[in-house]
Amino acid sequence: MANHSHAHPTHLQHHFVDSDQQFEASKMGMWVFIVNEILFFGGLFCAYIVFRAWYPELFTMAAKELSTVWGAVNTVVLIGSSLTVAMAIRSAQKNQKRGIEINLLITIALACVFLLIKYFEYTHKFHLGIFPGESLYTYEGIDHPLAHVFFSIYYMMTGIHALHIIVGIGLMIWIYIRARRNEFSSEYYTPVEITGLYWHLVDVIWIFLFPLLYLIE
Amino acid sequence: MSEHNHHEHHVSTAGQLWAVGIALTILTGLTVGLAFVEIPAPFDIIVALTIAFGKAFLVAAFFMNLYWDTKFNSMLLVGALAFFILMVAITLLDTLYRVEVVPSF
Amino acid sequence: MATAEVSTQKTLKVQRFKPSDNPTNTFLTDEKGVWAWMTTVDHKKIGIMYLVSVAIFFAVGGALAILLRTELLTPAKTFIEADTYNQLFTLHGAIMVFFVLVPSIPAALGNFIMPMQLGAKDVAFPKLNLASFYIYVLGAIFTFIALAKNGLDTGWTFYTPYSTQSTSSVIWITMGVFILGFSSILTGTNFITTIHKMRAPGITWSKLPLNVWALYATSIIQVLATPVLAITVLLLTMEKWLGFGIFDPAIGGDPVLFQHFFWFYSHPAVYIMIVPGFGIISEVISTFSKKTVFGYWAIALSSLAIAFIGFLVWGHHMFTSGQSAVATTVFSFLTFLVGIPTGIKIFNWVTTLYKGSIKMDTPMLYVFIFLFLFSIGGFTGIMLGALSVNIHLHDTYYVVAHFHYVMMGGTLIALLAGLHYWWPKMTGKMYNETLAKISAVLIFVGFNVTFLPQFVMGAQGMPRRYYNYVDQFTSFHQTSTIGSYILGVGFLIILYYLMQSLFKGAKSPANPWNSRGLEWQATSPPDFHNFDHTPVIIHGPYDYHQPMEEFQLGLAVDTNGHDPESAKEIIDEERDQWKNYSLG
Repeated sequence: MANHSHAHPTHLQHHFVDSDQQFEASKMGMWVFIVNEILFFGGLFCAYIVFRAWYPELFTMAAKELSTVWGAVNTVVLIGSSLTVAMAIRSAQKNQKRGIEINLLITIALACVFLLIKYFEYTHKFHLGIFPGESLYTYEGIDHPLAHVFFSIYYMMTGIHALHIIVGIGLMIWIYIRARRNEFSSEYYTPVEITGLYWHLVDVIWIFLFPLLYLIE
Repeated sequence: MSEHNHHEHHVSTAGQLWAVGIALTILTGLTVGLAFVEIPAPFDIIVALTIAFGKAFLVAAFFMNLYWDTKFNSMLLVGALAFFILMVAITLLDTLYRVEVVPSF
Repeated sequence: MATAEVSTQKTLKVQRFKPSDNPTNTFLTDEKGVWAWMTTVDHKKIGIMYLVSVAIFFAVGGALAILLRTELLTPAKTFIEADTYNQLFTLHGAIMVFFVLVPSIPAALGNFIMPMQLGAKDVAFPKLNLASFYIYVLGAIFTFIALAKNGLDTGWTFYTPYSTQSTSSVIWITMGVFILGFSSILTGTNFITTIHKMRAPGITWSKLPLNVWALYATSIIQVLATPVLAITVLLLTMEKWLGFGIFDPAIGGDPVLFQHFFWFYSHPAVYIMIVPGFGIISEVISTFSKKTVFGYWAIALSSLAIAFIGFLVWGHHMFTSGQSAVATTVFSFLTFLVGIPTGIKIFNWVTTLYKGSIKMDTPMLYVFIFLFLFSIGGFTGIMLGALSVNIHLHDTYYVVAHFHYVMMGGTLIALLAGLHYWWPKMTGKMYNETLAKISAVLIFVGFNVTFLPQFVMGAQGMPRRYYNYVDQFTSFHQTSTIGSYILGVGFLIILYYLMQSLFKGAKSPANPWNSRGLEWQATSPPDFHNFDHTPVIIHGPYDYHQPMEEFQLGLAVDTNGHDPESAKEIIDEERDQWKNYSLG
């Protein structure tokens, strides 16, 4: 084969012609996957919009139960983690192995902080009797017959988002281990780039969840 | 076709990345602050969403590198948003125009 | 060496690679054994594994259909209970839609053929491709668990509030569909990336085979619509499990919202099923007319147009569901628009036939069956899109007949066309042409005997999904049942001669149909890496006026001992001989 006539770099899979094709294909694949994710969350946002248009007063009343402060803190935490992931990619592009590792560790730590805050928010609500679903919901502080619907949407949106965070932490640990093994360089850092794109997406979704759920007057 | 003659990947400077991060934090502060200001009904959502879209743009353009990337990837993102809007808009065409808001059967 | 301009930037050295009719190494001889098959990342093997799974599910779904039709022989109970009947039609629908029609053409035939048509060694993400297959299997396991537990009696649409109240295993099936959705999403993602990034030198967008265009449009729908199905069934699961109050009216939800969500996926899903069929028809009709496809761009872009308009019409399933009058009117109008790109395709195919040298081999026979049946399906669809007619015909057998004409008369017949067309390429064996023609005729006759009466009784008011019926419909139902038996026999014959061809079939040459398609320039069955060279394309895939040898070019191998002069001579010597061959 013509393209087998010279040595291949070890990271290059056999069905690609060169590193560039592999990198561009992987990145485009991730973008198509992001399209999936947008439509996946889109269904939830659609339910949110339909119910908010029907019952604006329900959303105003129920959102008071959510802590604006902790929501804002979590937003900043995620923005910080997005920044460190971008820095990790930059380190990879500049062949700085330590940089990749440190930035990934900070990102993982920030993601854990996010989940911890989320955990306290959830348990606080469970304590009040605010559970997802009509059968479990017992809180009486909101004077609206459909209060449980708001929190169903809230739990579904934030829950699936949290699930993405957990997956993201897993991905980043995997990338961290590979970085420790010296697998990345300016010639090959595709997995770092791809994971970064995923993580930024998770950040972007939270950027919309925050004002839509926490910041309703 | 050698692995050496690939297109140059864009490398952002640390300063650029920090600037974007700080801008995002400031915008977050702004949107929280505006939440405590009394803005009449439809405009509060519009303001909050405008800021959110601004933040999303910053992340997509500079963290996700769309600004320097092939235009097709930006097209994918815009296309996904367009179909999401289509979905919402057409659904609202029904839910907002029902004679009885929720059928009571 | 001969050179070919493949782009404005670079000139490639090419030489001719004539595919061997007696390949020693193929993808079937490499990587042998069950374990090698189960862990393979080869798109061809994965495609065949899909094909086998789809065939098994089709057999199950078909057997259910035969049982249903047999029960409907008499107006009252014939031999099964009403509850069982409900479960049977639900399973028939769910299996045929989610496990047969959606994966059939893209995941089975598409997986095998599409990378070859691009001259690629594999899809962009081979491991992801294998993962999609196992996710499909996992979804199937969930469905079988549901079957073993309580079955399912909601119809394949899972409408609330019945699905949240039903005591059957709704959650198992919805989780199965959720998992299955990921298989579809990942395949779509993989295909889009492959089509963009894995094309061999010279394959520009205007030289892309129409099958690839169709798969591209399909993948776009899969990527945009399937995630919404995933979130919908997830919400439905939560609704049933915890009482979310989004869909169930008893606790504040809105059942019509569920229908919006469901059909936002499921209407485009109809196009996920039919558009790849269009691709196959385009390939086959050109090969067996030995003629350039008429209106290449019209056919290519109308696939994309169908994909787009398909997203705007989902509400025509809900005309009687209590959605607002505004939405109903808009949806009805938009529905008519779908007819335009579909009509464009039909006219272009028919025009392709004009003055072609038509050879009525089995694949072409199925193309004609497709054109006939699908046109009926399309026209009745337009009628159903008209509001006033729809109110009368909604949920009657007319609808059942309509979508069987589209789904079975369209997708399944196209699948059969593709299967017969690419069978020699996939297996390296020819099938029995006489038996193939007999079964094609049986299927055509059986199909019409089954479903034409359903139009009539539907128009006369026979509702769908009913276990009993009034006496006046007896003769229609009995005719329909007899038709379904003929269909069954037709499919059994196909199974017989395809199995026979595997073991005793005559050896197929590399290009038995004299097609200009790139996939036919590989050996039959193909090499493990599809081609043992990097193909270079200088003509469109349907340029039958160009000599065959110019479709067999590949990047010149520097170290094969030929000096440039002799490589050129090979081409020149054989030029005349190939011209004759390709005309004959």
